[in-house]
Amino acid sequence: MWRKSKPYLLLLPAAATIILLFFGGIFDGLLKSFGYFPAIGETELNLAAYDRLLHSASFWESMELTLRVAALSSLLSAVIGALIAVALFFLNESTKTTSPKAWHRLFQLPLTIPHLVAGYIVVLLFTQSGFVSRILAAFGWIDGITDFPVLVNDPFGWGIVLTYAWKEAPFVALMLYPVLSRIHGSWREVSRVFGAGDWQFIREIVVPAIMPAWAIATFIVFVFTFSAFEVPYLLGVTYPSVLPVYSYQLYTSGTLSDRPEALAVNMILAAITILLGLVAYYFSKRWNVLKGWG
Amino acid sequence: MKKHPQLLSLFAFIALIIFVVVPFVPLILSSVSFSWRWPDVLPESWSFRAWEYVLNDGRTWQAVGISLWIALIVTAVNILLALPAANALVRYSVRGRWLFEAIIFAPIIIPPFISVMGIHLTFLRLGLTETVLGVVLAHIAPTLPYMFRAVMISYQTLSADWEDQARMLGARALPRFFHVVLPHLLPGILAGASLSVLISLSQYLITFIIGAGQVVTLPILLFPFVSGGDPGIASAYSLLYAAIAIAALVGMDAALKRYYQLNKAPQDSGKGVKP
Repeated sequence: MWRKSKPYLLLLPAAATIILLFFGGIFDGLLKSFGYFPAIGETELNLAAYDRLLHSASFWESMELTLRVAALSSLLSAVIGALIAVALFFLNESTKTTSPKAWHRLFQLPLTIPHLVAGYIVVLLFTQSGFVSRILAAFGWIDGITDFPVLVNDPFGWGIVLTYAWKEAPFVALMLYPVLSRIHGSWREVSRVFGAGDWQFIREIVVPAIMPAWAIATFIVFVFTFSAFEVPYLLGVTYPSVLPVYSYQLYTSGTLSDRPEALAVNMILAAITILLGLVAYYFSKRWNVLKGWG
Repeated sequence: MKKHPQLLSLFAFIALIIFVVVPFVPLILSSVSFSWRWPDVLPESWSFRAWEYVLNDGRTWQAVGISLWIALIVTAVNILLALPAANALVRYSVRGRWLFEAIIFAPIIIPPFISVMGIHLTFLRLGLTETVLGVVLAHIAPTLPYMFRAVMISYQTLSADWEDQARMLGARALPRFFHVVLPHLLPGILAGASLSVLISLSQYLITFIIGAGQVVTLPILLFPFVSGGDPGIASAYSLLYAAIAIAALVGMDAALKRYYQLNKAPQDSGKGVKP
């Protein structure tokens, strides 16, 4: 009996903690999104909050902004991340003096910087009177503050995109680099024997080799930026706001009737992230990208 | 492509520096500037006013203390929860393994603030809001999966034979754990602990919802400054906050190296005596 139930007893504390604290909270939110508030005498379940939400223009604008910001952030991180990985690859190839580890530490720096700090760095760099604007002015490329485009607290979400591109590109590079370093110099020579040029080598060997890891890393960045709060809260505008900020605005608006709607936004977010997570998991298993993730 | 490796690597080096290091320049300049009007690339005059304010304010060190204290408790709880769970999943045949993995890894995918907003009123009723305990409970779900994963990877490389050997030599359960299992798992535990500390340190929203402004961690203290406060003070706080996050990571790494050095020493001298 003990022998059979032992693993389950060992799993119990961790699983119970997550079920109670995490899924309990989600379930609590789900009930309240159906209008279940025993504290104010509301014990009937209904879909009123979802109905109001799906018919409100601000929800759909918020959804559009969230998708746009997440898509642009993940694509930009993917491109920059690939460039970093390639740059590191060449650095390790040609320099034998410094140990490769030092480089890895340096380019991972943005990963360790807290999100709020990364957001503030983008504020200082890209506001109209920011550092980039000053440098452009020093070169005489712009004449006044207003010549610099509004990139922070802008309705399009550029500031958010820039922050994530800076913070998540090293993550993409971290996922790509091990794959890239497995492409040996000998492969290049073999391809040359078969008559492949540089461009053909990149297109036929390098790109197919790194594609699965690249796609999965980009997708993970997408899922993360889709549901992140801190950076859009700092760098976005009040309207339209990304879904997590929209939910928070509804939750703290002061009127109790908005709370079911806030929690309904959360439930929609949860459903989307679960779906995206399952897709990422399926493909990473199939392509064997995330070794050690279970 | 191969003709100018020196040139190419120089270019790669410069690009990396621009990408990683240059963004910190305005943050540093702004924290030591007195007045820094628009077209000037460098501040007109310098001052440590912002740093004096930040380092002399008692609230700063209180926030640092509370942030680290919360991160430490969260990490300790994570270790206690993750060790047995990882052990069970790696070494036993568990029915419904996918379900347990799905449960424990779920907070990586589903954003934790969704759960925290849902549980908020329940925490309020239980008197857990505005308390450190409440914030600790809120921080466990987002951090536990990373600790669990790190420990699981360590367990995968720990052969059961080693423990059997220790058992054969007469070691009981506790000595077996402390002398055979724990030393092998330590790198994984420390890797998980650094992630756990880092993630706990960077939580703003869930700390704000549960702490309700009464549990002032570093991000809570920082936010009003970065969202339209004094840029000098905001920059100084940002640098301090980033430095503490990095120091936590480097500290863990150094602790691990030190541990190995201490453990290696007797072995080396043993080798010297042998022949």
